[in-house]
Amino acid sequence: MVVNLTVNGDRRSSAADPITPLVDILREEFHLTGAKPVCREGFCGACMVLVDGAPTLSCLMPAALAEDCEIRTVEGLAVGGTLTPIQAALEDCDAVQCGMCFPGMVVTLTHLLTVEPGATRDDIRAALTGNICRCTGYERIVEAALLAVAVK
Amino acid sequence: MPAHPNHRADRTEGTGAANTPSARSIYVARSLPAAIDALDEYGSAGAPFAGGTWIMRSPIRHEPHQPHYVAIGKIPELTAIRIDAGIVEVGAAVTHAALASALADLPEFNVLAIAAGRSANPAIRAMATIGGNLSTSGFAAADCVPALLCLEAEVEISSRGDQARIGLERFLQIRPTLEPGRLLTRVILPRRVRNTAHARLPLRKAGDYPAAIVSLAVSLDAAARVQAARIAVGSVEPVARRWQRLEAALVGRPLDPAQAAEVAIGLADEFTGRDSVELPAWYRVSVLPSLVRRAAVAALDT
Repeated sequence: MVVNLTVNGDRRSSAADPITPLVDILREEFHLTGAKPVCREGFCGACMVLVDGAPTLSCLMPAALAEDCEIRTVEGLAVGGTLTPIQAALEDCDAVQCGMCFPGMVVTLTHLLTVEPGATRDDIRAALTGNICRCTGYERIVEAALLAVAVK
Repeated sequence: MPAHPNHRADRTEGTGAANTPSARSIYVARSLPAAIDALDEYGSAGAPFAGGTWIMRSPIRHEPHQPHYVAIGKIPELTAIRIDAGIVEVGAAVTHAALASALADLPEFNVLAIAAGRSANPAIRAMATIGGNLSTSGFAAADCVPALLCLEAEVEISSRGDQARIGLERFLQIRPTLEPGRLLTRVILPRRVRNTAHARLPLRKAGDYPAAIVSLAVSLDAAARVQAARIAVGSVEPVARRWQRLEAALVGRPLDPAQAAEVAIGLADEFTGRDSVELPAWYRVSVLPSLVRRAAVAALDT
């Protein structure tokens, strides 16, 4: 069968079993490797992408159900090489990590700052409860998000 | 073998439409009759697909996927919440996040708002559905089940040409043997003046399944004595259930959290905890009195 997906504005097709997790299609067929299939249980958040603007665990979403939706991965956030406010703030605060969990955090924070431009520290921490990092702290990431709020 | 719904002219709106009859499929139903027809035709080879948070993890549990799924998340009546003066009706495909948001200003449903709004993590809550929480026999730690038990919930089960409404306790009994083609379509909650609370103990603040859950709903008289109580325990045993001896023990007295916990210590031996990789059975039982105390404190605060 053919699954038609719109990813970062591009129309893509995949001949996949319809139950295949979206993250696998993104990575293995479209070579968009920002989303990571780490836990495959929905608890680590490393596979987070935006589906119709909502943060979505792509390990738990069958690719077939993403048809007719607009999918945006971490690779599609910056347009024309210009970082988004949260990406710029993360860079300014040295809040960058190894890349395993980090893309998911960027996606989560992108959504949070879209729906809550005045997000507080508590809002940020609550939003990140679904993004697990095993190797370092969250403080700089939270500070960067607060900086992005202030800059806006 | 049932006719493949995707091959029917009236169901071409579904995804996976290019499937052959032997391939796995997900049929996206746009109406309740279409979903029920599809489930009926698939029989034991089909299953409803709502949020997917349980089904998509089947490989981790070494469970095979069904050959066919019927996605119900785009059916308008199953994604709606209706709040009337006397009842609240919740469609089976309503997500935890939507449910928590809809009930936020109704203190009598605090127990369910907390259950739905604090389970797992934000992204899971945006996908997981109330119908999935209730229909998944293998998920002992489902937060919404004890919350709904203490709210006297009923569920509506629909099948081709039939619709039945039964109490949630009865549904939990028959759940493992529900015939193919049946779909839980609505949850119906009576509205009553009562104080409610949901106490859960995860190992971390977010992301973990709770070790144990105590959901509480009490009606108090003018002297603040308990007139009626419903208490349900989840995650401790394979299936959530009411704690009727504790309910009876609380009636007629003021709701005193410390005293309620003391009573719970004496009654907790009726539970046989379940062992799991993350926790031993005895621990789940041993935390129940503390959760009763916490629930009572929270209920007095609502």
